[in-house]
Amino acid sequence: MRIRKPWTAWDDALDWKQLPGAMGVYELADADQRTLYIGKASGTSPFGLRGELCRHFTTAEALAGANWTHPRMGEDLPSIKGKARFYRYEVNHNYYSRWIEVLTRYREDHETLPPGNLEDPEQPPPLGRYHWKSEDAARGL
Amino acid sequence: MDFELSEEQRLIIDNVRRFIREEIRPLEADLDPDAYRLKPEDEARLEAMTNEMGLFQMDVPQEYGGPGVDTVTRTLIAEELSQHRAGLYAPAYGVFGSGPQGQLYNATESQKENYLWPTIRGEKHGFFGLSEPSGGSDPARAIQTRGVRDGDEWVINGGKLWNSGADTADYGIVYVRTDPTKGRQGITAFIVDTDTPGFRVNRLVQVLRSHYTTELSFSDMRVPHENILGEEGGGFALANDYLARNRIPYSAAGIGVAVYAHEIAIEWAKQRVTFGEPLASRQAIQWMLVDNEIDIRTARWACLAAADKAEKGLPFRFESSMAKLISTEGAGRVVDRCMQIMGGLGMSKDLPMERWYRELRIRRIGEGPSEVQRIVMARDLLNIGSGSR
Ligand SMILES: Cc1cc2nc3c(=O)[nH]c(=O)nc-3n(C[C@H](O)[C@H](O)[C@H](O)COP(=O)(O)OP(=O)(O)OC[C@H]3O[C@@H](n4cnc5c(N)ncnc54)[C@H](O)[C@@H]3O)c2cc1C
Repeated sequence: MRIRKPWTAWDDALDWKQLPGAMGVYELADADQRTLYIGKASGTSPFGLRGELCRHFTTAEALAGANWTHPRMGEDLPSIKGKARFYRYEVNHNYYSRWIEVLTRYREDHETLPPGNLEDPEQPPPLGRYHWKSEDAARGL
Repeated sequence: MDFELSEEQRLIIDNVRRFIREEIRPLEADLDPDAYRLKPEDEARLEAMTNEMGLFQMDVPQEYGGPGVDTVTRTLIAEELSQHRAGLYAPAYGVFGSGPQGQLYNATESQKENYLWPTIRGEKHGFFGLSEPSGGSDPARAIQTRGVRDGDEWVINGGKLWNSGADTADYGIVYVRTDPTKGRQGITAFIVDTDTPGFRVNRLVQVLRSHYTTELSFSDMRVPHENILGEEGGGFALANDYLARNRIPYSAAGIGVAVYAHEIAIEWAKQRVTFGEPLASRQAIQWMLVDNEIDIRTARWACLAAADKAEKGLPFRFESSMAKLISTEGAGRVVDRCMQIMGGLGMSKDLPMERWYRELRIRRIGEGPSEVQRIVMARDLLNIGSGSR
């Protein structure tokens, strides 16, 4: 099953305290809400989902006032950098198996992984097959 | 001690029980299994309801505008509030309000203006900064964070570990060694704004539950002398009546989770047929259920006994430690047995039990580990002090 939440547009004025520091999975999309990347905030992510989302969308300078920074803030993979506009996430303690599930679901629909995941140095383990396409795939999402 | 509820207590308990079953549990179907916050619109709607029930901010004393709920009733409420998926650490998702840390009632008038009142109004949040990498069970000896006075300020260097909520807090109550020659009497509590230069959140430390803790560092962090909470060197004296009192409802929350798990397991045992008979007809399962009931009732009595003593103004340190120990360990056993009765379903995220199992494990460490509770009780039994150093 994919992440069922609606997309949220990244807003530079967002209060970063509203983003959870917990573990979980997240998805980034471009201006047309096409998935660019399916990521996870793992047990060793230094600032959980908050840190992972901020590092894709913003810079340490833009977070002035924050008493923390992600070591990879502002760095990104070429297919994501400057293109990500939307995000959605799920707080989930079983982030690893859920990450694999969301990637598997995506690959089932699109016959490939999201562009960011193809470039990502961290590749998932071999993914399974569900043998059915979702309604999203039928709608070209 | 009379365990019979008064008419008023029964009414309150029925109301809270209905609120949890009819308002909170249905919302959880649409939340992440590990979520600890409601959607903001639900939060606002439900807070209005708890206000109407007269139970909003029930941990705030009456003289500060709270509804004035006595300790026994508060303990009974705590057992009800936790009876949902997120209930152990986020009872009713906080819609009954979360009062300030008890130490703040000892603050000066200007500290109350800056921290206590805004916290009661929900405008500010604080964290509790006691534990350090050097140890949390025996903070009097373990605290290495150092404060050195410089005129009207203190320069603080060091760091803290495991501080829940410090990443989003506006301030923290931070325990600092201000006099290394005085042992326990050399620890001072400071109110520290989290935007003070030198205050840094190094990382979030993930644990068994989905909510995390933090690792903090303080480098040449300058805190005004007037931000000392209580007396210089009196940090531990602040661990007052309020703190020990809070340990009782904290313990009762564990019972609530056990009660709910037990209810689910009983229903399941009656319905699930294996080898031609319902599980409930098997003695192995019946005994697990009876053991659950014994653990639940023992913990409930221990919590109520502690609450009763606290309410009557009698010494209750021994009883509150005993309640904490019995309830956290007993509730862990109950949930474990329930998971066994549920089989595979008990392991899955479709049910709340796996979450309670993880969270209850933390309860045996947080708020004073089981061993420390035993140390407190042993000191009372043997009439020995904690030592000055
Ligand atoms: C999820 C979580 C949230 C927390 N939130 C906060 C917070 O908000 N603020 C804060 O200040 N702290 C917080 N803590 C810290 C918590 O209070 C400490 O972890 C706890 O006090 C134990 O300290 P320690 O981890 O350093 O273990 P240690 O003190 O190193 O003890 C290790 C083990 O040895 C046992 N032990 C210690 N002394 C004895 C003895 N004499 N005899 C027998 N056994 C002994 C202890 O019980 C424990 O099991 C949190 C911890 C967790 C896990």
